[in-house]
Amino acid sequence: MKALWKIFRFILRDQRSAMLRGAALSLVVLAMGAALLGLSGWFITAAAAAGLAGAGAVFDVFRPSAMVRFLALGRAAARYGERMLTHDATLRALETLRARVLATYLAAPYPRMIRIRGAQALNRLTADIDALDGVSLRLVLPVMAGLFTLMLAFVVLWWLVTPAVAFWVAGGYVLAGIVVFGWMARISLPLSWRAEISAQAFRTRLIDLIAARRDLAVYGRLAAQKKHVQTAETRHEDIRRQLDRRERQTGALLAITGTIVTAGALGLGIMLVQSGQIGPAFAALGFFAALALAEPLAPVRRAVSDFGRMAVAARRIGSDLSEPAPLTTAPSHVPDQNPDQNGDLHITNLTLNRAGASVPIISSLSFTVSPGETLAVTGPSGRGKSTLLLAIAGLHPVATGHIRIADRPITDWAESDLRRYLTLLPQRSALMAGTVGDALQLAGPVDDAHLWRLLSAVQLDHIITQKGGLSAKIGSRGEGLSGGEARRLVLARALAKNPKILLLDEPTEGLDEATSVAVLRGIREVLPDAVIVIAAHKKPERSFADRILELK
Amino acid sequence: MDTPSVQNSSASDRMATILAPGLRARKKSAVLSVLAALIWPLQAAVVARAFGQLLAGETASALWAALIFATLGIVRAGLSYLAEAQAQHAADHITAKIRADIIAREAIRSDESAFGGAGGISALASEKLDLLIPFVTRYAPAQARVMVVPVVILALAFWYSWAAGAVLLISGPLIPVFMALVGMAAKEASARQMTEIGTLNDFLVERLSALADIRLLGAGPAVLQGFASQAADLRRRTMAVLAVAFLSSTVLELFAAIGVAMVAVYVGFSLLGVLEFGAWGGQLMPTAGIFLLLLAPEFYQPLRDLSAAWHDKAAATAVIDEIYAYRADTGHRLQGTGGQAAPLPGPASVVLSGCHTLSGRPLPEISIAPGEHVALVGPSGAGKTSALRLMAGLEVPVTGHVMVADHPLNEANADRWRARLGWMPQAPHFLTGSVQRNLTLGRHGDIAKAIDTAALQKVLDTLPQGLATQLGETGGGLSGGEARRLMLARAIFGTPDLILADEPTADLDGDTARAVTHGLLEYAARGVTLVIATHDRDLAAQMDRIIDLGAV
Repeated sequence: MKALWKIFRFILRDQRSAMLRGAALSLVVLAMGAALLGLSGWFITAAAAAGLAGAGAVFDVFRPSAMVRFLALGRAAARYGERMLTHDATLRALETLRARVLATYLAAPYPRMIRIRGAQALNRLTADIDALDGVSLRLVLPVMAGLFTLMLAFVVLWWLVTPAVAFWVAGGYVLAGIVVFGWMARISLPLSWRAEISAQAFRTRLIDLIAARRDLAVYGRLAAQKKHVQTAETRHEDIRRQLDRRERQTGALLAITGTIVTAGALGLGIMLVQSGQIGPAFAALGFFAALALAEPLAPVRRAVSDFGRMAVAARRIGSDLSEPAPLTTAPSHVPDQNPDQNGDLHITNLTLNRAGASVPIISSLSFTVSPGETLAVTGPSGRGKSTLLLAIAGLHPVATGHIRIADRPITDWAESDLRRYLTLLPQRSALMAGTVGDALQLAGPVDDAHLWRLLSAVQLDHIITQKGGLSAKIGSRGEGLSGGEARRLVLARALAKNPKILLLDEPTEGLDEATSVAVLRGIREVLPDAVIVIAAHKKPERSFADRILELK
Repeated sequence: MDTPSVQNSSASDRMATILAPGLRARKKSAVLSVLAALIWPLQAAVVARAFGQLLAGETASALWAALIFATLGIVRAGLSYLAEAQAQHAADHITAKIRADIIAREAIRSDESAFGGAGGISALASEKLDLLIPFVTRYAPAQARVMVVPVVILALAFWYSWAAGAVLLISGPLIPVFMALVGMAAKEASARQMTEIGTLNDFLVERLSALADIRLLGAGPAVLQGFASQAADLRRRTMAVLAVAFLSSTVLELFAAIGVAMVAVYVGFSLLGVLEFGAWGGQLMPTAGIFLLLLAPEFYQPLRDLSAAWHDKAAATAVIDEIYAYRADTGHRLQGTGGQAAPLPGPASVVLSGCHTLSGRPLPEISIAPGEHVALVGPSGAGKTSALRLMAGLEVPVTGHVMVADHPLNEANADRWRARLGWMPQAPHFLTGSVQRNLTLGRHGDIAKAIDTAALQKVLDTLPQGLATQLGETGGGLSGGEARRLMLARAIFGTPDLILADEPTADLDGDTARAVTHGLLEYAARGVTLVIATHDRDLAAQMDRIIDLGAV
């Protein structure tokens, strides 16, 4: 509930004026609907009474019928306006929300970032946020508008009919609405959670079955996994059936409420007419208004059925929103303008722990790399080569010791400054669908001549020319390029940033020896004054370096 | 499994086939929903009679009127509840059947579906399939009501007044005509929106799987900006679709309002005695007038329900097309069921004779004696992986045959043969769960021994929770070498007497490759048959024999 309120406040803050106007219009729609039916009932009954009394010729038909026309057309127009306004405002607010969540992902701590699963994150950004449109459209606005309409109706019925009818109709609807919503929402909320969890279980188990089916078959576990999937499916079906039943019950309870309130208005009206307190036309007004006032209650059903799903989504998105510090785009300090500055990468007594554990992976390491120098870090896999590069890039916490870049401790660097100053090319790099030019300019525009220079540095110029130049298409995840070509393209992408410090994690993986040598030489030509640190794995990488540091 | 008999069946045939399992429940639901709607004229009659009596100055029983009205209303709510329950039952039945079919198909095929990856298929089996539910529960019952309810109300209107009947008769058909026009516009608009949603999702999937790269290149702000402009495009398209939908429902509302207003005006003037035509034989009585006024809105209601559910049909049609596309690729079957079985007796030997790869490339005669260590070499595409899969019964030979343990490998003994195998695929998919679960896959055996032989302990020590550490889709948290060691431990855990390993040292650095090779050979030294597909010349040299598949 708190999470939902937080989301609504976010939406309201983002789109205050449109939301308020939309809320006012929804009140107008409901009030006009009740007025329309009440007035029509009064009009027909009063006309019949006048006709029976032989006073048909003097009965004022003009004003009531003009009013009926106004209300009928006005309500349709107001409803159209209200829908357009609130939907547009909600979509805009959700758009802001989506961008905000994406920004949090982009600023997440590195170990968490590489664990963010594409499918799961996509689900948050699409399905979860989509579900939140109900917070304003199907929960808060309709409930508010409904309550205000019923309050208004209370006053009008008191004035035009009698206090008894006003109490019965408005009081009955408000009370029933609150009771039904409170009761059913309380039951469906935990069910929705369980439904969500069981749906997730079904999905992951099915994905496991499909993706690992050959392994499972060899080990005789495929049949068991199939049963595992079916169990999750049965459980999910079962929970969903319970939820559906709750929704139907809500609908039935609301329908019965409407019936009883209207029947009561009818009975009360008849009694009041027969005791001479009001005329039949006002009894009709009361009855028809009661009939129309069931409308503000209708959204309760959707609200109950969506409530759980919205609450689940709101809680998840809320936890994303509470993550600190989205991207800071403004540069706080430009370090490369200081002429006396020493551009060294300086490491003293560094100890690093393995991610998420307190076991040291590197201890008491010290070295310095100067501009124009290349250091190769070697050692068997699992000895912390990649972790060291991550730490230098500010993406792995330093347990003890210091990393200084250009005479400043790494902790003093703002994220955006550090990214501009150094670039890390990790072992696995992803390419996205788009053109070669798009891929190279991911971080910002670079002129074509320079792009070609970079491509030739990584020995890719001929291949890209054959493929159709900078506008050649690359498929999703670098489809259409061989492993070696993709590797060289992400290398060129890293060079396009023109970094002062370049950290390369096994840069020539998947390249043959001659190409590796040429690519490494090309990199140095493009960045003659950069500090280059290579987590080296292959011979060309080691022999290219000026110095070798072996991790043991 | 339902295999489509006609590949290019029409959309309505497809829909009928898919929805066939719920036919009985759907019919019941339609009948109940029509019955519920037909109660309203009875309630209207009660109200009209009461007001007629009041106007005529006769005594009306408030209690009876209210009681009958309420009872009828409660019956109506009950019938609606049952109708919804039946529709939901039908929907559950339909989706459960399709889901079971998808699970069954995925559990017996041996190759990847052309339809899409694990994520795509699980999306089809979960959220996409759910799009059929609103169609079954909302659109179909509304369709049934449209066929019956307006006709009944029209007949009732004509019974009392040909003029009122005529108003309904003329305004009624205008609605479907107009809806058809709007429907065409809506279809186009929603097709554009669908494309845009697809584009935005693709944009997000690409970026979300490259979050780390975006971060490292400092491209966050650029990506956010690109996302913002695409999201704004999507919002505009969505609003265009909504505008059409809102406009069409506004127009429907206007038609209905005008129709009701015309009936009301006619009734009002007739009751006043100004109009003296339209009713059969004289003036319209107040009771009949009020009855007509109460009926008129219900004449339009089913049409409005149907148009509100218009989207559901479009969504259902799209999903059904996807289901057909999915079913069109039946793929290749696995031999056996992939279940547990008693090991097949006989020597640990395997012979492939006259077999082809799935792409039709012939394989040489391969005969492997018990205890022999063999390397399969050859360029990519020569059929190394295919040969291993044929030996494990994961592919069924189209020509030729596979002999295992002196038996022809067939459907009946494949599970029993695989109970003797160890298997190391080239690219592992780890199941969602702990390291331990991924190692044992739920089998019983000596876990300590497997860890020891595969030299896995060192890896486990560095994991935050050792064996209990949770793994993700692609083994999140494990490096390539660590993942390979885990697969080795998994392979020898079941103490197999034949191990099939696909590129066990690919992408590993020298030391790790040596460690994995050592573990494999140490285990195989006890007389276990070993078949390795590899590019690694060092590894191949350590085998007893090398078979070059490229030499055919």
